[in-house]
Amino acid sequence: MKKQLIISVLGLLFLTTNSLLAQKDQNAGIINSYLVGLEYEVKAGLSIGGTSPLPLPKEIRSIDSYNPGLQIAIEGNVTKWLNPARTWGLMLALRLETKGMKTDARVKNYSMEIIGDAGERMKGFWTGQVKTKVSNSYLTVPVLAAWRVSPRWKLNLGPYVSYRMEGDFTGDVYDGYLRELDPTGNKVIFEDGKSAPYDFSKDLRRFQWGLQLGGEWKAFKHLNVYADLTWGINDIFKKNFDTITFAMYPIYLNMGFGYAF
Amino acid sequence: MKLTRLLSCLFLCITGISCIQEEAPNAEADILTCTVPADILRRDPIIENDKVTLMVKSDTDLSKQSPEFTLTPGATISPASGTTQNFSESQYYTVTSEDGKWKKRYEVSYIVTGIGTEYDFEKVKHAGSAGYDVFYETDHNGNIIMDWASGNPGFALTDMNAKRESFPTLSSADGYKGNCAMLITRSTGDFGSRLGMPIAAGNLFMGTFDILSAVTNALKATKFGMPFEYVPTYLTGYYKYKAGPEFSESGKVVSGRKDMFDIYAIFYETTEDVKMLDGTNKFSHPNLISIARIDNPKETDEWTQFYLPFKMQPGKTIDRDKLKAGKYNVAIVFSSSVEGDLFNGAIGSTLYIDEVELIHSVEE
Repeated sequence: MKKQLIISVLGLLFLTTNSLLAQKDQNAGIINSYLVGLEYEVKAGLSIGGTSPLPLPKEIRSIDSYNPGLQIAIEGNVTKWLNPARTWGLMLALRLETKGMKTDARVKNYSMEIIGDAGERMKGFWTGQVKTKVSNSYLTVPVLAAWRVSPRWKLNLGPYVSYRMEGDFTGDVYDGYLRELDPTGNKVIFEDGKSAPYDFSKDLRRFQWGLQLGGEWKAFKHLNVYADLTWGINDIFKKNFDTITFAMYPIYLNMGFGYAF
Repeated sequence: MKLTRLLSCLFLCITGISCIQEEAPNAEADILTCTVPADILRRDPIIENDKVTLMVKSDTDLSKQSPEFTLTPGATISPASGTTQNFSESQYYTVTSEDGKWKKRYEVSYIVTGIGTEYDFEKVKHAGSAGYDVFYETDHNGNIIMDWASGNPGFALTDMNAKRESFPTLSSADGYKGNCAMLITRSTGDFGSRLGMPIAAGNLFMGTFDILSAVTNALKATKFGMPFEYVPTYLTGYYKYKAGPEFSESGKVVSGRKDMFDIYAIFYETTEDVKMLDGTNKFSHPNLISIARIDNPKETDEWTQFYLPFKMQPGKTIDRDKLKAGKYNVAIVFSSSVEGDLFNGAIGSTLYIDEVELIHSVEE
């Protein structure tokens, strides 16, 4: 999936360059758009963040390692300024993005269920290490209110809806023990390199929504530097998924460059 | 400027969410140790997940016993640890976890009778969420004197949807007389193979299956031995055997090898350091006194008698006083795949066992 995304990113950049070269024909269009208060921008950046319960539940005793991985976002957006001074506007965007991370955490009495390839079921409460790898890719549509604070600064805030195209939520548990079914069940120790992998990818929700807060600084006439914080409001897992007893939300900061037409 | 503000806002958010909360009280409710006067015990208390078995000397006064327990930190027990009760019959204790949300009921029994010498595998109870079979022995009054151990609790972990009939060790109605034990080598599916344990041989043995070590060190999970106050001379009984079609070693099919079962018994001395032998040292430990093992196992669909002499290990003698004091252990072991403990065998290999007797020399 990551490969596909990189290809789309390159494709979009290519199109952008092309359109820059073929600008003469389009300049008229852009100028017309500008005159009716429309602004176009494409931007691309990297994200860092976490897919995490909020606040961290008591089950999580420590986070021993965190790796943001390579998360990319590429977006095209249009802003319609609503007042003649062009300080207030509405912004609509279409964004391809990945959100992911890798963590290794120590948990105590963490409810879990593992389903094997042939439907075998292992359920219980885990005390020990949990490695988690999250890697999701989304097609996201933010609808934002834009506010031009100063000639160089622009802020935006609003909701977004994401459609998950690909999803991966996997990991394994090691160095600890499982209580079969509940905390009073049989105790089984996993150590000396024995681990049990899990895969909750199938339980990920398709649609997500959340809030986005962004800021953009105009470095040059066409070049912007931006940062967008996206905060997921609904659980990344389906409603009927109760193996992980707490909801997990994607919270990511995306930073990069934008080209304004 | 705004960017730095945004960044600091994010930083605050992240520190806000990554605050580790105070640890929750324990949810577990285990009896960790059980203490009774050491001079009444024939062997160390057997503490299982919901059962404590105390094998005590025959002259122990069961009517007034006050076992003491240590528990998961913060847990409580009722009746209280040290309460004097009449243990002529099993007593029940309830352990409540520190967080108060979980309770576990333990059966605590004192057993004065020996493990018996005749085993017909008629009596079965059910355990675990799957209700897998556990064979047990009773004395003449119907009191339970011993549960046969098997790897079933370990197999249960590989699939919590598994039905009773799909376990490796189970009861069958096709006995030599009445019911018998049926041991089948099973596949452990996805989880078992990921853990490097692709098969589970059907096994049945005297001792305990230590589920704690089942995943990390399977050979150590089979703890063999029950106290025996006589000198065993022969192990006899009946078997039928059918090897499974495809032999595999650690999950890889090996053509040309045929599976075979195993029947053996070991008799050994216990010491302070060596309370139990296990899969790693069952035939090699210096404390071994004698071994009886089938030497001509064959595939047969007729009930076939085995009659195995206990062969003394070189230079070993038996101390009569220690024997009386219950310092020797015996273990009878059956397995549907001889190398099942190394995860070598054929899925489907089936061993039937019935009417087993442990013959011992008669003391004056």
